[in-house]
Amino acid sequence: MSLQILLGPQSPVSNLREALDSVSVKGPVVSITAGWRDSEAELDELQSTAGINVEDLNLYRLAEEIFLHEPELHALQRQRQDKLAELQRLYRIRLEPTLAAAHNLMRETGSSDLLRLEQRAAISQLRALDRHHVRRISAIHEDFNLQRARLKIPMASELVYTLQKKVAGCAAVLIAGGHVAVLINRIRLFRLTRMLGQKPIIAWSAGAMVLGEQIVLFHDDAPQGQRNPEVLDAGLGIVKKIIPLPHAQTRLDWSARNRMALFSRRFAPAKCTPLDNGSMIRLDNNRITYASKASLISRDGIEQRLETL
Amino acid sequence: MSRALKSFSSGGSLAPESIDRFMQQNRFPLVEPGRVTFVFRGQADEVLLRSWISGLNTSQPLERLFESDLWALTMELPDMSRFEYKFEVVNSGQRQLVLDELNPVLAHDPYGANSVCQGFGYKRPRWTMHDPGARSGSVSSLKVDSRSFQQVRDIKLYLPARFRRSRTYPLLIVHDGFDYLRFADLNIVLDNLIERLEIPAMIVALIQSPDRLAEYTGNVGHARFLAEDLLPAISAKFPLLDDRKSRGLVGASLGAVASLHAASRYPALFGQLLLQSGSFAFSDLGHHNRDPIFDPVVRFVNDYRSEPYKLAEKIYMSCGIYESLIYENRSLLPVFQDLDMEVLFEEARDAHNWENWRDRLRQGLSWLFPGPLWMVYE
Repeated sequence: MSLQILLGPQSPVSNLREALDSVSVKGPVVSITAGWRDSEAELDELQSTAGINVEDLNLYRLAEEIFLHEPELHALQRQRQDKLAELQRLYRIRLEPTLAAAHNLMRETGSSDLLRLEQRAAISQLRALDRHHVRRISAIHEDFNLQRARLKIPMASELVYTLQKKVAGCAAVLIAGGHVAVLINRIRLFRLTRMLGQKPIIAWSAGAMVLGEQIVLFHDDAPQGQRNPEVLDAGLGIVKKIIPLPHAQTRLDWSARNRMALFSRRFAPAKCTPLDNGSMIRLDNNRITYASKASLISRDGIEQRLETL
Repeated sequence: MSRALKSFSSGGSLAPESIDRFMQQNRFPLVEPGRVTFVFRGQADEVLLRSWISGLNTSQPLERLFESDLWALTMELPDMSRFEYKFEVVNSGQRQLVLDELNPVLAHDPYGANSVCQGFGYKRPRWTMHDPGARSGSVSSLKVDSRSFQQVRDIKLYLPARFRRSRTYPLLIVHDGFDYLRFADLNIVLDNLIERLEIPAMIVALIQSPDRLAEYTGNVGHARFLAEDLLPAISAKFPLLDDRKSRGLVGASLGAVASLHAASRYPALFGQLLLQSGSFAFSDLGHHNRDPIFDPVVRFVNDYRSEPYKLAEKIYMSCGIYESLIYENRSLLPVFQDLDMEVLFEEARDAHNWENWRDRLRQGLSWLFPGPLWMVYE
């Protein structure tokens, strides 16, 4: 039995308390706020919003301490991050023309079979590229794990054990938003994925993004110009077939219907799901059982109500 | 003539009642793609449009329509343009500058208010307006003991929302900072851009000179004030990032000259420059033909142009194409570009005014201090 609640950004109005009430938690609640990086310890607002005592796992700070005391792990981690950054750069080189071709075909008008087939083929190429990228990233993670297993890192091992035990003993986990790459890196570093999959989770913004099968970065209204949506990494895979899109109302250009349609079709059958302030989606055993102020991008590029099952 | 006015006046004469109706049915000035028609209603011997658009006659007469009290002037105006204006109304030899009463859009500056003409397609950017969803930073007053000026200077300090002493922040020093707050809504812009993660949370020192014509014109004492009085005073009280990439200078008009000059005196201190409509007067040959207050500016800019050097990491420059300073700014651009500095230059269909400078802040600040918006989803 798995249970996850995905929320939108918690500002200006928080619905965390409402989510917690709906889970009727009995027991300690832990939080992961590593996405806040240096501000990880600033829990006052979270505690008062949640209305219960929450113990933070301090993944960001603990990782920094490990890196200080076990530099070989830090070096290995650095090496992996450098590889991932370079891979991302190479992926973008391939992504840009592939996406441009798909966009151009989506802009073509007409209803001929010829056009439809070419559009489909272009989207398939995009999907293939994204899949390839995730495979290459996963290979880098696997290589990292193999090399890490050979290291003598008692402090890291001890902390992994302690943190896993804390998660095992809690009644629910809160995962806050923030820097999405830092967040997933820290969760992976402490090997919490499997344990998290067994716990009720309430996650918002970047926290929701890391639970999915792939993490998609996007922003159509960046000051230096629109950027192409890109796959950053595989997610934890706890939530299936949903791509959470926090701040969708401000980050997505809903007027560009072809662009939105391509976004949706590129990641299908996963549902591209906007999460804005006030949004809430509950999944029981990966079935959407409750949705409030939640929607999805339809294959025609319009916002559509998210149906519960 | 605008389509609406043409159709209205095609009858040949204008009855007061039909003018009343026309006035009620339209918004003024009458804006169409590529042109604008100014309308004035009232008794006058002569009515002139007074605008401050470089390259155009600063005073253009409106035409009286069919001996009525309705006056109009149509002029070409590229789409997305914006400029400020007044009407000059002449009655019995008396000349009076007045706002366009038919136009509710006003812009303010230290000298008062002007009517604003917004060309076809121009819309005030949303990020310049108060967003109830954006957390507000605070603006407080601070006294800085200046050895350079031998007096205490009042400044204002913007601290971002969720300011924490445990974090470290970039610092921006803004010339004419009180005016940037009043006339360019700088605090609102900062709140919005920080909330949107387009720039990092930052501390902003807002300075206001009691004598900017002396202090902002390439004044060594002013540069010393920034580097040796202001910066240490703020560093002592607030947690700042300690590298030049995290320190920026901002200024418009002479404020841009003061920023560039201070950076030239202290290149190791200030890495980021945001220069708006800089009064970078220079002379290629002989004496310049501007006001004598520009003498030190010309000396500074001439010296720098003759022996340019890297004085910052990144420079964002903007200038309106309807201001005469576009020539000076365009001339300085290749000088910067030939050096090992990143330079972004933005031209706007606007003139020398605070709303032009306000509208460029998003591009300038987010380019100099990129925020974490691509990776952060709060």
